[in-house]
Amino acid sequence: MTRHLMTLAVLIGLVVLVVLGAEFAEVRLLSRIATNLCIMLVLVLGLQVFMGNSGILSFAHVGFMGIGAYTSAMLTIPVQMKGMALPDLYPVFAGLQMSPYITILIAGLVAALVAAIVSYPLMRLSDAAAVITSFALLVVLHTVMLHWSEVTNGPRTLFGIPRVTNLYLAAGAAALAIAAALAFKESRLGILLRTTRDDEVAAGALGAHVPNLRWIAFILSALFAGIGGALWGHFITSFSPKAFYLKETFVILGMLVIGGPGTVTGAVFGVLIVTIVFEGLRAIEGLVNQAQLFSEQVVGVTEITLALAMIAVLIFRPGGLVATREVGDLILRRMKLREKK
Amino acid sequence: MSSNALRVTDISVEFSGLRALDHVSLFVEPGEILGLIGPNGSGKTTLINATTGQVPLSGGSVEAGDDQLTGLSPREIARLGIARSFQIVRLFNAMTIAENVEASALAQGEGRRQARLAAREMLGEFELLDRADELAGNLNYGDKRRVEIARALVARPRFLLLDEPAAGMNESETEKLLNLLAILPEQRSLGLLIIDHDMPLIMRLCHRVQVLASGKTIASGDVSSVRTNPAVVEAYLGSSVEVHT
Repeated sequence: MTRHLMTLAVLIGLVVLVVLGAEFAEVRLLSRIATNLCIMLVLVLGLQVFMGNSGILSFAHVGFMGIGAYTSAMLTIPVQMKGMALPDLYPVFAGLQMSPYITILIAGLVAALVAAIVSYPLMRLSDAAAVITSFALLVVLHTVMLHWSEVTNGPRTLFGIPRVTNLYLAAGAAALAIAAALAFKESRLGILLRTTRDDEVAAGALGAHVPNLRWIAFILSALFAGIGGALWGHFITSFSPKAFYLKETFVILGMLVIGGPGTVTGAVFGVLIVTIVFEGLRAIEGLVNQAQLFSEQVVGVTEITLALAMIAVLIFRPGGLVATREVGDLILRRMKLREKK
Repeated sequence: MSSNALRVTDISVEFSGLRALDHVSLFVEPGEILGLIGPNGSGKTTLINATTGQVPLSGGSVEAGDDQLTGLSPREIARLGIARSFQIVRLFNAMTIAENVEASALAQGEGRRQARLAAREMLGEFELLDRADELAGNLNYGDKRRVEIARALVARPRFLLLDEPAAGMNESETEKLLNLLAILPEQRSLGLLIIDHDMPLIMRLCHRVQVLASGKTIASGDVSSVRTNPAVVEAYLGSSVEVHT
């Protein structure tokens, strides 16, 4: 128990540090970066809940983020703007304008509901088959977003979403996500799901219900994704379906794989490290372009670096930076070792 | 044979035309240790797999007491109190020893606190308590075997099927295991089925022995009668088919 509390304290402490750092620096850009980081925490922790505990790589996560973003957008765009922003919207919703604080939760529930329905048959699959179907699910969700113009305005940019996500709201959500991910991992379901990750045959022989355990985790994971997507939508205020596709998928996967999918600590570290490196590179890229060192604009350094970092981690530390033990556990073990000496 | 025994009746298993088990019957009484021996490829592991639902039967039936196990999934069979270990140890390597054992109690439907207590107690009996927080993947082979047995036992099975529990253990480890297994059936009123190649271990431990060769039962009975049975001697010495006929 102590080690779980220790982990919780350290990880939430990191979020608090990020908030304080961004606030005291009084640079607007830093505050934006920190808010984005907290939203990424919600999304990556959501993916960790499923992927880390079940051991199944899921590409569909960002699709559920999109469902959340569009759900909350549709319910909160001011009535007078709806005619322009969503010209094809169903008349039932045309006069509807709800508080974003409520719709962010609804967004999570809608994403979870969709996940519950579409994933039920998929959870029987393991290994490569499961990964490929999750990728197919991402493509399906993306295609629906592109063409369901009544709700998403089709491939065009949807605008007019009220801006409610600030640093504090995002950080609060991130802290809750950390607590929820840890609680799930250490719960009855979490422990049983992890046995199916390590050895599916042995888990079945103990009496674990493999598809059901995966299903529950997948739904929970989509709940995080829906809430994270809605938070992101109310932060960025205008987006199109391409925001929820391959590029975003690989950023989120990259963060989790580099940090270590098996632990909540890994998910948090992954987001922090990748964000810091990304922003550093982006700044350097900007400086290089400003100084006009090259005849052409330099672009894509961040993506290349993420790809190389992922490859390096997969070669040298296949379980990620923090593979099996949470940070609280690591600290307590070190303290015990020191006592013995 | 009593009505609360584990009864395997006339089962056959085929792998794409190859008969791995050919009308084999067997029973284990609660409180009894049955040794299942036979040369490599004689179908011993297949028999355990068939009993616990890991491979489908092509004929015959399996019952435990009043429960019909035939055609049930491994999960359902486990929930009816049949636990097993694997020939090649299958632990949850990225989880701690405590979690490995705890998970087994959780899978039986026990609550979190109860499961943790049961796991602690079991680890104490297996002298693994001081290493409870180590990752299972970091253990040596003999310890992995012990964790696997502890994991099976914490589910409080009516019948425990062990597939070569002493494989890969050194002499002193085997001795320790033997002492531990010998008291199990009485202490926990469970029926124990053991496959092993370690003949001295089987002979010392088991109340009865059944011998398989090429998917058929060639002998069964108490230890001394089986040891001197000519068919068993022949199967183990590997005499050729011509000599046999």
